[in-house]
Amino acid sequence: MNFFRLHAKLACHIAAACMLFVSAYAPAAHAGIVGTEALLNAEQSRATVNAFLAREDVRGQLAMLGVDPAQASLRTDALTDSEVQALADRIDNLPAGGDLIGAAVFVFLVLLVTDLLGLTDVFPFVKKK
Amino acid sequence: MPIRPAHSSEKHVQLLAAATLSLPLIVLQGCSSLQHRQLASGMSGLPPVYELEATPFYPQEIHHCGPAALATVLETAGRKTDVDELTRLVYLPGREGSLAVEMAAAVRRLGYLPYPVPPELVALFDEIAHGHPVVVLQNLGLSWLPRWHYAVAIGYDLARDEITLRSGTHRSVLTNIATFERTWRRGDYWALLVLPPGEMPARADAARYLQAAAGLERSNREAARRSYQAAVERWPENLMAWMALGNGAYAGGDRDTAAAAYRRALSIDDAYAPAYNNLAQTLADRKQWSEAEAMSRRALEIGGAYIEDYQATLDGILRNKPPD
Repeated sequence: MNFFRLHAKLACHIAAACMLFVSAYAPAAHAGIVGTEALLNAEQSRATVNAFLAREDVRGQLAMLGVDPAQASLRTDALTDSEVQALADRIDNLPAGGDLIGAAVFVFLVLLVTDLLGLTDVFPFVKKK
Repeated sequence: MPIRPAHSSEKHVQLLAAATLSLPLIVLQGCSSLQHRQLASGMSGLPPVYELEATPFYPQEIHHCGPAALATVLETAGRKTDVDELTRLVYLPGREGSLAVEMAAAVRRLGYLPYPVPPELVALFDEIAHGHPVVVLQNLGLSWLPRWHYAVAIGYDLARDEITLRSGTHRSVLTNIATFERTWRRGDYWALLVLPPGEMPARADAARYLQAAAGLERSNREAARRSYQAAVERWPENLMAWMALGNGAYAGGDRDTAAAAYRRALSIDDAYAPAYNNLAQTLADRKQWSEAEAMSRRALEIGGAYIEDYQATLDGILRNKPPD
């Protein structure tokens, strides 16, 4: 898995580098106009190229995580530069809300206790105070 | 912290040891500085009890709490969707869940404004009291044993110390406010309000609002522009609101509105170089060469972070303007 991920990532970067020759600017920018995203995040205009690479990175990772490639493109396009930079390289670690949990007896016991204490809220049958 | 707990028994022993050692710590941490204590004092100015009973309910399928929560708030904001459509926009099969930034991006793709509610219970409840259900990210488990979950906060009762959620497969979940606060804090207090473009949150902050509206430019320029229009009406003395409106109008080809907005920005701050530059470009597009050149030179004189852009604007004007 890691092997493939590494190579896919490399391919993403190469593709991104090629595309840089076509267009180095975000679609929101117009010649002669300093854009709103840039003005609101002063440090970002200088990081445009980084954002561009990060965007390609995120696009590739979404596809690798099972999103249809065409949808992965559309989904990436809807992200702002700062969101893209927050996601790049971190998709595996950021919270993904989906109720996923490992099922093991000790997990059950620990969470049962913390639920009873009102610290967590995993089991609907535990009546909180 | 990995989302998926390891499955080897060795890991379990380690985790069990960690659990035993850290339980007192967790309990101590749980007691510290929760916001709900301040709420209980009755100084918040909130109605003591409020519930948005009419909020629709989309029971989630397994791992699809993100799309279900989004469908709930989008319908309240006026956009009927179905969970399958939203699943295509946010669900990440490899993570068996949905990422918070993609939740906001999906809202933008549908032409609505995703406004991040500040990390405060009082702000969350105030939105509810103004008719806005809010999507919240909870970690229902523990920081080292997370169970990430999206729910929709639709009501609260300060006297009974309860919050009401549309959550998972339950239409109405009553949770103790302190318990909710702990699960929400573990989700980094992430909370998302979905608004039709042009509408304001109950507690609108100019910078927060403009940042959210700027994100809309990529997906839906018209919705961004309507949001900027609402921003200048709400904060008529806000420089960035006028800049954003100007840029939004310029992007839509409306040079008159753009020029007027940049001039208004300059009336608020006559040393703001980006406004001179963007006005210069707008005037140049309208072939008002002499004023364009003057504005462009003014931007260059002031200088700053975008000085290369200002130079490019002036070069373009000098290249294109007809000889005197």
